[in-house]
Amino acid sequence: MRNKTTIRQTEDDAATRRDLEAMAHAIGRFRSAVWHIAEQESSQPMQVQFEQAARRRRSVQRRVMLEWAFAGFAGVAALIPAAGYYRHHQEQARIEQQQQALKQREADAQLLDQIADEVSEAVPDAMRPLAEMDAMYGQNSTGQQGKTNATN
Amino acid sequence: MEQTAVTEMAPVAQADAQEHALLNLADFDEVVRLYRPRIFRFLLASLRDRDTAENLTQDCFLRAYMARERFRGDCSLSTWLMKIAMNLLRDHLRSRRMRFWTRTRESALDPMDVSDWLPDERSSPEESFAARVQVKAVWDAVNKLPANQRSVFVLRFVEEMELKEIAEVTGMNPSTVKTHLYRALAAVRARAGGGA
Repeated sequence: MRNKTTIRQTEDDAATRRDLEAMAHAIGRFRSAVWHIAEQESSQPMQVQFEQAARRRRSVQRRVMLEWAFAGFAGVAALIPAAGYYRHHQEQARIEQQQQALKQREADAQLLDQIADEVSEAVPDAMRPLAEMDAMYGQNSTGQQGKTNATN
Repeated sequence: MEQTAVTEMAPVAQADAQEHALLNLADFDEVVRLYRPRIFRFLLASLRDRDTAENLTQDCFLRAYMARERFRGDCSLSTWLMKIAMNLLRDHLRSRRMRFWTRTRESALDPMDVSDWLPDERSSPEESFAARVQVKAVWDAVNKLPANQRSVFVLRFVEEMELKEIAEVTGMNPSTVKTHLYRALAAVRARAGGGA
């Protein structure tokens, strides 16, 4: 029993060691890859490195500019229909407002006419009381004259 | 006894004087020539982007040149430059996080594309391919590590720096460095397990 446990432990230890060795090997390869890339970069003369970096930067700048130009173009392209729709909407609102104002004006005119009619009907003739009085006195004087004539 | 101490101190003082001399205007080219590969390697392994690593390396030496008067010699010149590079890397990662999206750059490095990096030229195509897959797996795993763990991992396994030196560069406690290293190693082992 103890033998079995010892064997298993030894196997586990060996597996862990193998695992660690593989890990160390992998990290070693990673290290040599990084060193190699860095050496490759450093082996080029400074001038070439600067030129390459400048070229890459220029290409990135150009791409960024193109992206901004595209974004601007897309923005304008999206704004044109929006502006058209806005203008159309505004025009429609203006026409509606004009129509409403016209209707209102017509209604107002109608109302004024109606009021004028009513007012003109309601106001009596300025000479009417005089005419009425005249008619009344006229009748009276004719009656008295008749009475006087009959007495005579 | 005193004499022995003086003689022991002499090479250190001489090295310091040399480093100070290197920082002079005339010798700064030499500083760049000596330390540029190391700084570039660290930034390349951390960022996996050739252009950004190149730009940050140039920034690092520019800052070092501007601040050369402030170098007191408390640490080695290499550590001082690494500290500057570390700060630049942190700033860069912070600014990248602030962006809405991170674009895949043209200069982003694919470890599978790196040809002829294997030092052993006798390896067969199969072995070479397996090695590249392995490197890619490790690099991907390193790339997924949190920034602090990644820096510690790269400084330890790519630059082969001592824990104390890493602590100095990163401004962390040595025990914190050890913890980060342990976690980074465990994560890389778990992620690149198939490849490693």
